Amino acid sequence: MLEKLVPRGSTYAADIDLLFDVITYLVGFWFILVFGFFLYCLFRFRRKAGVKAQYITGETHKQKMAIEVPHYLILGCDVVILIMTFFVWHKVKIDMPTPDEEVRIVAQQWAWSFYHAGQDGILGTEDDIATVNELHIKAGTQYKFHLEATDVMHSFSVPIFRLKQDAIPGRIIYGHFNALDTVIGEWDIQCAEMCGYMHGGMGARLFVETPEQHAEWIAANTPDHLKTASIAATTTQESKEDAKNG
Amino acid sequence: MKLKTTSRSSIVLKLAFCASLFLVATVSSQADERGKQLYKNCIACHGAEAEGNKAFKAPALAALSEKYLVAQLTKYKEGHRGMDVRDVAGLQMAPMTQTLSGPEDIAAVAKYIASLESTPKEATLDGDPEKGKTAYATCAACHGADAAGNDLLNSPSLLHQYDWYTLAQLKNFKEGIRGTHPSDITGSQMRPMAMLLADEQAMKDIVAYIQTLSN
Repeated sequence: MLEKLVPRGSTYAADIDLLFDVITYLVGFWFILVFGFFLYCLFRFRRKAGVKAQYITGETHKQKMAIEVPHYLILGCDVVILIMTFFVWHKVKIDMPTPDEEVRIVAQQWAWSFYHAGQDGILGTEDDIATVNELHIKAGTQYKFHLEATDVMHSFSVPIFRLKQDAIPGRIIYGHFNALDTVIGEWDIQCAEMCGYMHGGMGARLFVETPEQHAEWIAANTPDHLKTASIAATTTQESKEDAKNG
Repeated sequence: MKLKTTSRSSIVLKLAFCASLFLVATVSSQADERGKQLYKNCIACHGAEAEGNKAFKAPALAALSEKYLVAQLTKYKEGHRGMDVRDVAGLQMAPMTQTLSGPEDIAAVAKYIASLESTPKEATLDGDPEKGKTAYATCAACHGADAAGNDLLNSPSLLHQYDWYTLAQLKNFKEGIRGTHPSDITGSQMRPMAMLLADEQAMKDIVAYIQTLSN
């Protein structure tokens, strides 16, 4: 249902959508049934001349069953939702797949700062690429993110990933995503936690790129002296490995 | 007869002149009202009289010229200022320009701010104004001996500004947080000037001297 409005862009987006669909259909079914019955009763037992209203205490077996049967059926639906939620929650929030890349995300009133690992692929080194309101990622790559907030609570929300994670001052919260190659392009990032006057203006852009596009972007944003060092390091490492392999 | 025609055309001209004056006055008044209205979005941080607020790292704006305000608001809006990850206050200011829909709004709000009265600010830093006076000679070329700024050189007034803000901006210029965007021409002019200052104490000395000019 949701993918018709916003495409699915991450490996776990389909699981969130399935959960959303199950909840919508189950709750929708009971909503229509209950309100249909309610409207039917309003019409069927409307005021009529010469008919006195009954006072029902709900003590007979038939009357009790009329309450208990739907009650247990709804509880059964809740259990289904709960079990599904457990599995999806585990996949999205608890499991941490081995990352190929890492990115640091810092939220502040009212901007997002992203620290990309740069050419060496290691976060926290000199060649990290810092951007404001622009996150560049490679499709088909497992990312681990480090989410921080400098002032108040924010929430890192990426609709195509079906990802929403609160950022809390003083804490580093870890999470993960893996973008599908079906969503190469530019997408929205938004703050989903009321964070002050310009909360509504705290948007950023997500660039999902092919490995080639991403490599080009990294090369274009790496200063020359670091580029050379990085290439030199790679070359040295490769020659060492070659020597080791004979 | 000729005299009458001349008299009539003269009256028509006068009426047209009065009408255009009225029109200009009405449009100008609407712009002033618009500026005042738009400024309500700024009050939370900069204060009702544009006096600034240290708690929000918000500078005083009332002493700044209309031209300088327009230039800075435009830079923020176009991403030429306040887009460095180290510029916490700038990052906060940049999205605020989204409340201004275009050049007309920027002009209106700048005009309103420039019309407000500014007041001197108390010194909070431990700079030496005597040492600062000597170093300020370089700054005087653009900002003026009285630090009142010069719109022709795009240099802002430094008077009636908080010393912590002026110091923060000098540091930003020196560290390349401000004035490094390729489209920030005036910022890139200021940056090498800030780089002439050896250390933080030199900056504090200059700022202390500027404070004496404000008083």
